[in-house]
Amino acid sequence: MKIGIIDLNSGNLLSVISSIENLGHEAIVLKKPQSNFDALVMPGQGRFAFVASQLDQNNWREFIISWVTSGKKFIGICVGMQLLFDGSVEDTGAKGLGILAGTVQKLKHDKTPMVGWAKLSSTDKKLNDQFVYFVNSYAIIESNYCSATVNYGTSFCAAIQKDNIVAFQFHPEKSGEFGQELLQQCLN
Amino acid sequence: MSKLVQHTSLVPRLIVCLDVAYGCVVKGTNFKQLKDMGDPIELGLKYQSQGADELVFLDIKASVDGQNSALAMINKVAKNLSIPFTVGGGIKNLEDVDKFFNAGADKVTINSAALQNPNLINQTANKYGSQSLIVAVDVNLEANNSLILYTHGGSKKVSKNYDTWMQEIIDRGAGEVMINAMHKDGTGSGFDLDLLSRQYYSIPIIASGGANEPKDFLNAINAGADAVLAAGIFHRNEYTVDEVKHYLIQNKIEMRTL
Repeated sequence: MKIGIIDLNSGNLLSVISSIENLGHEAIVLKKPQSNFDALVMPGQGRFAFVASQLDQNNWREFIISWVTSGKKFIGICVGMQLLFDGSVEDTGAKGLGILAGTVQKLKHDKTPMVGWAKLSSTDKKLNDQFVYFVNSYAIIESNYCSATVNYGTSFCAAIQKDNIVAFQFHPEKSGEFGQELLQQCLN
Repeated sequence: MSKLVQHTSLVPRLIVCLDVAYGCVVKGTNFKQLKDMGDPIELGLKYQSQGADELVFLDIKASVDGQNSALAMINKVAKNLSIPFTVGGGIKNLEDVDKFFNAGADKVTINSAALQNPNLINQTANKYGSQSLIVAVDVNLEANNSLILYTHGGSKKVSKNYDTWMQEIIDRGAGEVMINAMHKDGTGSGFDLDLLSRQYYSIPIIASGGANEPKDFLNAINAGADAVLAAGIFHRNEYTVDEVKHYLIQNKIEMRTL
């Protein structure tokens, strides 16, 4: 498969690239929208407002919305998952893509960021009871499209699945062998 | 210690530390005599397959010699490992931090530089997010029972108060703090439980220095550590990571298993 990786200038993409390449795919970093891919991956790290502002460069917003509505595969990771929603309490002035309904909330725990491995709860046997790696202070608490949850002060959405859209609040590229299997399932 | 019980799916982490010097993994006793223990990538992959939750690569000569850790090694690690890893040693300023992240590190750890220039904590947290920064604290329980901070691989004393410094690290935006009890390092007498249970901190605490047997990990977690870090016990093949985790699970600590 030929996978496009959206570069929003937020953090190092090496882990995501290596992870996809180690699965036998071709990974191409995109500074600007391009259509000739089997799937698009949108990683994101850091502040919501900064990453959201990067979407306004090079017409990413329009491109991603039309890519997703055309039914092509799309994978969001971490802030890349959060951007699919309307916005975030982290930066109330910044706009998400609004592809999914909801606002990203601050985790209600006295130790933030949440750092480490947590076991997923899911009705999907492939996801349930698997350990994945989280690094975040904000998350989507509820969505009709939650495919897995974890607890950190409160229960939140660890993964989203809606038709051709898959998104993870955790880092599959840092979640060991299971993370690799999960990415492979999404890409194939 | 007041500790709020909150719902969490997070499990305590077991971190393997690989001290690197001149491109090889080494292990010293009380920070001094160094023994060659092997290739960083090979060892990293071995611990990943044993179930290590994270790895830390520390270039222990860099801080003393003023060298940068091998960026090529970081790059190779990033391409080959599928678990998070932290890099440290010899970081002096934001430019060094940039270099480590550009090479592929998930987090950096700073120690001497944080004490010399505490603003580096703010700068790094602002640029890469709190989650990207572990501040390491080398502390020694002196003969007169006082806690003294050290820098430069345990070779220089610092006059700052330990508790004041811990709070400052948190206030300046570090994501995690690693407490390295120098008086325990390499002695195999267990983590310093008094230090770990001294106070409840609002960021994750990584216990380092002194692990000798699985029980030491259990005691550190029960004393409040969010993560436990060890080196020699694994490098000398006394225990594998999964053996230690298995012991912890038997003792009612939930751990990630493969």
